[in-house]
Amino acid sequence: MRARVIWLVALVLLGVVASGCISGGGGTQTSSAKIQLTGDFTKDAVAVGKALQQNGISEVRFSAWGSGDPNSVMRVYGIVEAARRINRIWEKNGIKVKITITDTHYVASFQDAYKEYLSKQPLGQAGDFFVNSYAFLPTLADEGYILDITDYAKAYKSVIDDFYPSLIEASKFKGRLYGLPQDTEARPLYIRKDVAARIGLNLNGLDGKVKNGEFTWSDVYMWAKKAKESGVEWGLIHRKGSAHPDLIQFIFAFGGKLYDPNTGKLVVDVPAVYKWLYVEWKFARDGLLPKDIMSWDWAKQIHPTVVEGKTLFDIGGTWYWTEWQTKQYYNGRSLTPEEVRKWFYYTLFPAGEKGDKPVTLSQPFIWMINSKAGQQNPKYDELKDVYHELAFLMVVKASDPDINAIHSVISAHLPVRKAAAKLIKDEKWLNDLKNLNLDLDPAVKDNIKDIVKATVNPINAEFLANVSYMLEYTHLAPAHPKYPALADIFKEAVDRVLRGEMTPKDAVNFIIQKVKADSELAQNVEIVGKIPENWKFPQ
Amino acid sequence: MNVKREKLTTLSFFLSPMAVMVVLFYLVPLIMTVYISFTRMRNWNVSKYLTEFVGFYNYHRLLYMFQHDPTFKAVLLTTVVFVGITLIINVFGGLALALATFFIEDKPASAFRLLWLLPRMSPIAVYSLVWYYFFHGSEIGTLNSILMKLGVISQPIPWGQIVPWGAWSIIIFVNGLVGVSFGMIVFTSALNQIPKELVIAARVDGASSWQISRRILIPMIRWHLLYVLTWQFLSLLTTYPHLFLLVQWDLVNGDYGTTLALYVFNTAFGMGEQDQGLAAAAAVLLSVIGIIGGFVTLKVLKFERMMKRPRGDF
Repeated sequence: MRARVIWLVALVLLGVVASGCISGGGGTQTSSAKIQLTGDFTKDAVAVGKALQQNGISEVRFSAWGSGDPNSVMRVYGIVEAARRINRIWEKNGIKVKITITDTHYVASFQDAYKEYLSKQPLGQAGDFFVNSYAFLPTLADEGYILDITDYAKAYKSVIDDFYPSLIEASKFKGRLYGLPQDTEARPLYIRKDVAARIGLNLNGLDGKVKNGEFTWSDVYMWAKKAKESGVEWGLIHRKGSAHPDLIQFIFAFGGKLYDPNTGKLVVDVPAVYKWLYVEWKFARDGLLPKDIMSWDWAKQIHPTVVEGKTLFDIGGTWYWTEWQTKQYYNGRSLTPEEVRKWFYYTLFPAGEKGDKPVTLSQPFIWMINSKAGQQNPKYDELKDVYHELAFLMVVKASDPDINAIHSVISAHLPVRKAAAKLIKDEKWLNDLKNLNLDLDPAVKDNIKDIVKATVNPINAEFLANVSYMLEYTHLAPAHPKYPALADIFKEAVDRVLRGEMTPKDAVNFIIQKVKADSELAQNVEIVGKIPENWKFPQ
Repeated sequence: MNVKREKLTTLSFFLSPMAVMVVLFYLVPLIMTVYISFTRMRNWNVSKYLTEFVGFYNYHRLLYMFQHDPTFKAVLLTTVVFVGITLIINVFGGLALALATFFIEDKPASAFRLLWLLPRMSPIAVYSLVWYYFFHGSEIGTLNSILMKLGVISQPIPWGQIVPWGAWSIIIFVNGLVGVSFGMIVFTSALNQIPKELVIAARVDGASSWQISRRILIPMIRWHLLYVLTWQFLSLLTTYPHLFLLVQWDLVNGDYGTTLALYVFNTAFGMGEQDQGLAAAAAVLLSVIGIIGGFVTLKVLKFERMMKRPRGDF
């Protein structure tokens, strides 16, 4: 009997180990075919096409996974368009191979998309192309779930150099390149022009004062209070949740930091965090900011309150500009571009106090390639390198300035390439986009036509051009695997101070206690500085 | 000897489908869970971490968190209150519904029972969303809106953020409605097995519905009561989907809307990292608590006495 039990246990353990070996077995295969990329796109695409054709491949099937707001669908259709452009090159050169995008999987929550990718990649069921926040790139790279494209990118230095350098840095892990930037954004402080006029806040040159650090959060408080006293419902509205890292701008605005590149650890910068929580606490106690904002509904409360002019200030994102034009937040309808321009002024996120600097925050999205890209195609083991090179070329093509510029204009995200930034200022090109008179895949045109109709106009293009300077002031949330856990704790602390359940001092201690309670988190987080004594707000 | 072997073969033949099921779906996952709890498994990377043993590291990390997390006391209290009260609602609510429908005509009884099954049949997200908008703490919440229109309140009440009882009431209410149908079905089925003659005889003797229920029906479904009680206890101890959504959507307070099961889920999966090693350790601990709890329930309700062979039949 005992022997049987031992056998049974051994059998189960064998099954467990075997299942691991089966799923991870593919990684040791090597392929013999490989093309030396030259940097001449057409030449490289032709070489890859010929290699596939010589091996009897007539169709290459890929899938693209993306996520985000409804206007950002070019995150997957960019890949569809890239496939068409490469197909055309092959056709012109007599290559009888065709790329087919079998699936464009697009979901709203980028966190859910990440979790789905994480669980399906080891099983070989994830998309070949995956666009998501750079914050997840380190984990995916560390686990070997995405392709290291450093060597391929060497041949495409001129393309890489056209991207903004900080965004290329955000696409790296341990010095290796794991993707190409797809978009980025800034998070302006929106100011209602009508409310400002009513309370005597002069907006002429205000962005300059914010840039110089003259207009600080004490001024925001003062004007918010005036707005409230004049009968406006709220002085300030901001975003909620921990997945949206907007509020950590306060840490940077008060001269603090969240990450120490020397130690590779996250940082709880106690003085800056205390000041941030104090500002939130003060705004909520004085009724300028809803104390339950962290449980407000996006579509029924947060956006309607802003677009209906029930607040003076709003901490938002550049994408709000077109979201307000496509979603029906204003008394059951969306805003017109003219209304958005007429009602909203925008500046950087002001400095915390005199002597600090204004900031903004970006969370670049990156086009990543599955390390198993192309595995659903014939002769994968033999042609793995060729499939990977083709996937890389597709991402390069999907980064074409016009594709990037289309995405920027229709979703109000900022362009990631200098060539795309130039294009959005070109009136003729904008007109062509408005009429969809561009050389695009019919399926892509069909899928973006409604968004184009609602968003492409000189007002939006001007907005994008005007906010581009904000990237010079941008900070990135730390790309650290433990950051989401820390962000959750920050969110809890903010909620408690807003509701008045904790003082800012208690909330800082709560954060420290929570960090220390998880031994693994504690090893990855440094707690620096002390709560400042006699600090006053507003100053 | 041959007869014994023959009996054994026959028994094995009939038992084998169930035995295979038990091994495949209970024993193997259990062993795998225990095994994984001793590894550094994370991010679903089986090939990388399956053989990376870390001893009791995951258990140590979890217990350390239990000791030092400032919100953990609220989580424990919430678990006790949530499981205790929801269990009472599920068992006695189910019993009350079964008894009520027992005494009415078949057709209206079926319709009534179907109505109570709706929460169980609805997709979790849809069902939770209904209560999200119903209990929302602002004027967009249905309950607030009704009370404000009736003039009962002048300002919306953030129901789920009133701690602890506001948050507890919502999670108990939402889960109570889901669970009550299970007891109702089991008890209805049990009541229908009771010979009708007993009820008719009692009626002839002038017994009221309450007396029939108390003296005849309930004593005869004691076994089912015990089953539902134990089953629902274990189920409530490990349930988290509805709670997860209500907390995630910020309808209820994070601390007083989080039970041990949800805390474990959030710790292992909710904070960006997918830490299967830690989750497995937590699952083992929850299973141990469940086993102890189940054992205590059976002891308290004198399970052995019910299982005694009837005297004089053999």
